[in-house]
Amino acid sequence: MDPAESTVEAGAVKSAGGTGSAREFEVCPVDQLPPGGHVIRQAGNRQLGVFNVDGEYYALPNICPHQTGPACQGKYLVGAVRAGEDTDWIPEWIFDGQVMVCPWHGLEYHVPTGKCLAFPNISLRRYHVFVRDDMIMVRL
Amino acid sequence: MSVDTSAGTSTEDVREPLSDLLVVDTDVHVHESPELLAPYCDMPWKVALETIIGTPERYLDLPGFSPGNSAFHARFPTAHERSRVVHTPEQMRQELTSIQVDIGILFPDHLLKLALLTQSEYAAAIARAYNAWLVDQWTSPEKGLLGLVVACPQKPEDTAREIEKYAKHPGMVGVYLPCAGLDIMWGSRKYDPIYEAAQAAHFPLLLHSVLVTHPVFPFNNHGFDTNFGRHLTSHTFSVMANIVHMVETGVMVRYPDLKFAATEAGIGWVPFLWWKLDKEYMELRRDVPFLTEPPSHYLKDFYICTQPIEEPEDLGDLVKMVELMHGENTVIFASDWPHHDFDHPMKLDQVPFTNEVRRKILGENALRLFNIDRSGRRLGLD
Repeated sequence: MDPAESTVEAGAVKSAGGTGSAREFEVCPVDQLPPGGHVIRQAGNRQLGVFNVDGEYYALPNICPHQTGPACQGKYLVGAVRAGEDTDWIPEWIFDGQVMVCPWHGLEYHVPTGKCLAFPNISLRRYHVFVRDDMIMVRL
Repeated sequence: MSVDTSAGTSTEDVREPLSDLLVVDTDVHVHESPELLAPYCDMPWKVALETIIGTPERYLDLPGFSPGNSAFHARFPTAHERSRVVHTPEQMRQELTSIQVDIGILFPDHLLKLALLTQSEYAAAIARAYNAWLVDQWTSPEKGLLGLVVACPQKPEDTAREIEKYAKHPGMVGVYLPCAGLDIMWGSRKYDPIYEAAQAAHFPLLLHSVLVTHPVFPFNNHGFDTNFGRHLTSHTFSVMANIVHMVETGVMVRYPDLKFAATEAGIGWVPFLWWKLDKEYMELRRDVPFLTEPPSHYLKDFYICTQPIEEPEDLGDLVKMVELMHGENTVIFASDWPHHDFDHPMKLDQVPFTNEVRRKILGENALRLFNIDRSGRRLGLD
């Protein structure tokens, strides 16, 4: 399945309350976010990208710290290339299906860690994602 | 206890929101395709254009129209939208508004490679068709969309006639000088007809390059492994080379009333080049005896578009850079919308310029370059 086909239309998520200062928001039913897919959701005053990478869910802010582009709105997840002394400086393909690319200027982010591949000092914030009653939830 | 928060403040201290500022974007791109230009093209070249209608198009890469650069490097999958194009004035207006641009200066897509076409009559016909199509379909001061006459380096006399034709058109405000693959650079006296016509029309001339690999300097860039090297040098080195050529042949001396601008090369190279020209002048003045002042004297009014703006860790370095190049009145914002390396005005807005410099760079300097008012109307038209 083309991961792009699993991208769900953006929309506001429903607040499900929560304890203390944390707030929980419904994202979508689990069957609407298969592996390789992602959705864009408004959660309070934040816009999030919620991803399914090999069965694990991740939520990242949909804003690129470079020029505020919609970092999570790339059509699909891709991989990346790296090279180092261990590869004799020959590029190798890594993180297959785990990298989102900002559609504005192409900055790559490793979704599971939030790390920007071009600037090691930049990491996107990650939000807690969990499943409750077959509903994907995010906690801010 | 109440506190008087107004004490010590003035209008100049208040940083206006970007949405309240006039933003003139001096480099945005329309997408002209063979089927759109064909109705405006003279025979027999119209037939040639019609022949390539429907040819699968890569980004700025269409055989027989915009000879491409897609063949030289590996392509990995990416979600980076590297092939954005704008098809209609309505789409352009909507998208420019979304990035808070009030007035956009229109450049072509495919015709960035006009200088690569080897048939001069064909190139000139395409240039004429583009100019006619742009005026008919795109330019509109009311919509804040203003055009440039595309210069055809293969036929300077033809370009001069085109400049005269559109000199009084309310939607045309300057001349675009293609640089990519340009065989004889813009300092050559063969282009004097273009400069004479532009000076008579009070049109500024804007240099614009694009990535190509081609035998002519500085596009003989096949020595680079990747587009990482080719893209940088195609734009910046080309603009620098053309300016050096124009200085060493005395274009600015022969046409002192002309205004020029460099697009899509960033700004960091400017102090280097201005200083370096002056340094060479000390020893080699006899090579340029028509200059009676150091070269930088003739470049004081050479406008520099910001995109792709350098992004140093300390954005205050850009303030210093503008000071070094005496660019308060000559640096002008450009986004390069909708291309893959566009700059959002917000990026320039983050630079800690004074309010006055900020207003000038984002809009007011460009009004002076193009001799237009804040609503996009040309000044001085009868």
